[in-house]
Amino acid sequence: MLSSIFEPSSIAVVGASNNETKWGGRILKNILSGFMGTVYPVNPKEKEIQGMDSYSSVLEIPGDVEMAIIAIPSQLVLPVVEECGKKGVKGLVVVTAGFSETGNAELEQELVSMVRKYGMRMIGPNTLGIVNEPFKLNASVIGRLPGSGPISFITQSGTLGLAIADWTIDMGLGLCKIISTGNKADTDDVDLINYLDSDPTTGVIAMYIEGIKRGKSFIEAARRIKKPIIAIKTGRSKRGSRAVFSHTGSIAGSDEVYSAAFRQAGILRVDTIDEVFDAALAFSCQPLPKGNNVAILSNGGGASIVATDECERQGMNIVDLAQETKDKIKAVIPGFASSSNPVDTAGTVSFTIYNEVIKALLRDPNVDALIVIYVHTQMSNAMPPAEAVVEIKRKCPKPVIACWMGGAGTEQGVDILKSGCLPNYSVPERAVKALAALIRHREFLEKTKTDEAITGKKVG
Amino acid sequence: MSSILTEHETKKLLAKYGIPVIKESIAKSPDEALAIATQIGTPVAMKISSPDISHKSDVGGVELNVNVGNVKTTYNKIISQIKKANPEARIEGILVQQMAPPGHEVIVGLKKDAQFGHALMFGLGGIFVEVYKDVSFRVVPIVKKEALEMISDIRGYPILKGIRGRKPADIEAIAHVLVSVSEMAQKENIIELDINPLIVNECGAVAVDARAMVEE
Repeated sequence: MLSSIFEPSSIAVVGASNNETKWGGRILKNILSGFMGTVYPVNPKEKEIQGMDSYSSVLEIPGDVEMAIIAIPSQLVLPVVEECGKKGVKGLVVVTAGFSETGNAELEQELVSMVRKYGMRMIGPNTLGIVNEPFKLNASVIGRLPGSGPISFITQSGTLGLAIADWTIDMGLGLCKIISTGNKADTDDVDLINYLDSDPTTGVIAMYIEGIKRGKSFIEAARRIKKPIIAIKTGRSKRGSRAVFSHTGSIAGSDEVYSAAFRQAGILRVDTIDEVFDAALAFSCQPLPKGNNVAILSNGGGASIVATDECERQGMNIVDLAQETKDKIKAVIPGFASSSNPVDTAGTVSFTIYNEVIKALLRDPNVDALIVIYVHTQMSNAMPPAEAVVEIKRKCPKPVIACWMGGAGTEQGVDILKSGCLPNYSVPERAVKALAALIRHREFLEKTKTDEAITGKKVG
Repeated sequence: MSSILTEHETKKLLAKYGIPVIKESIAKSPDEALAIATQIGTPVAMKISSPDISHKSDVGGVELNVNVGNVKTTYNKIISQIKKANPEARIEGILVQQMAPPGHEVIVGLKKDAQFGHALMFGLGGIFVEVYKDVSFRVVPIVKKEALEMISDIRGYPILKGIRGRKPADIEAIAHVLVSVSEMAQKENIIELDINPLIVNECGAVAVDARAMVEE
């Protein structure tokens, strides 16, 4: 049913306008910029909007309308929604604000009752809209479509969501769907993760959460879903309870309970917005490692020590390399460099060195994942090692995470990594944390698999 | 509406779910106290039992290591201390209890959460829970495997495993308590529960003190 919202054949824009600085004008323009289906502007005050005939109401529209996006004053929303119901509209995106978020819970309840009376589904109210990139649908106030990719992003905060969406576009991170949930009056997180699970174009689910409405159902759904779910849940600092009756009551604030519930459901809870997308990027282009044995290659000792420290913090194992691997590495690096893990080329960088060392490391049966670091210096060129890692990665099923450090001079190397679908991070800690997310998800999948084997049924 | 169970009522609830509780009984008179103490074996702990007194030691309601010769006088002493500190309190009697066996003090707790049902907590008890908050949480229900994970999650896990020649605590027994409390959470209307301490040594685990707030 949510497919009527994300993949409609026709859309009515209620509150459409010629003025692109108004919500209805901006959203109509965004829809028209890519959407291939039929679009109907609705505004009783206009005859023509953005070069199209305008309708005075959805009931006046001659053809079928599958989805309506509504951006009109709150007091007018209910009658319009009723008209949509009568018209046979299946999905609604209600941009209009002024409902429960401003204390008007009663109006929101009436809205939900109306939506359900006609068997429709609704995103919002108080949403900034939705984007479905594979469908070329931008029914939102986000200025442009993102690049294509498997990451779908659900955001409870409207404006923060907008800023993040824009930022991911600038980062060149592909997004599949952007969903601003608004007040979640009808469609909530449970519905959305279930929908994204069934959506073949979504590979990774990223979430910005302020609060969940149906906690138990959300956890049950998330536990069942095999796609990685990465979430930032804000409000950590708020104490859930200051009850003095029991120690448990005073320690178990809502945040601790969220953490426990997320962990049990296999949701990767991260602390920062950076980490959400760092992990999502790794998931979007790298396979899951078979275990937590990590090898590190760097041309600088400092960076590999930072990476090693972070690996330890994340519970990853800096694995001992097989003798054969060390021999192969020794043959190409300078005599004074380190052929043990972390491998340090002691400043020397070339296509051949990186190529041969990476090949040896990835062929080592003890190694489950590889972090390749390049620290830029005036003496080195960022491109050959990038070409080396991209060339090998094409043939290898183990995850490889890149960290090209340095400012001007590294960009071309970074571009090569991007075009080779290698996730690259600006500092080692970010690279390690992204890899840790892959490992944690792998462990969760393993765990649910054994739980299923033990209980003989699906978990959740 | 919520109500607070007395320590003895809470223990009865725990026992109903197969959680080992320390030997104890309510005495209504000094003579009864002596009879119970003799049966349990002295020394004993003696605690005021009142639905109106939640923090028993704050009002002089707890005496530990009471020898057989002192049971009757201690009974009267506690009653008079309580009558002075809280004249309105309804007194059910004095809980006469076996002294806690030696072992690690751990805490097992429950808290009803508006979003996720009940949260189950495990950690090192006593001063550790107050200062270090070395605890782990799960949302119920949990199975034994998750209970074992919960136990090994805390930083102080090596202490339970036995360090410097100390005998390891019975981890399986703690896991049994956690799974039982998880089961209890699903069947009883518990708002908050502390088993603190649950004493665990190499032979098992036993609930020594416990408190619960339930929904009526």
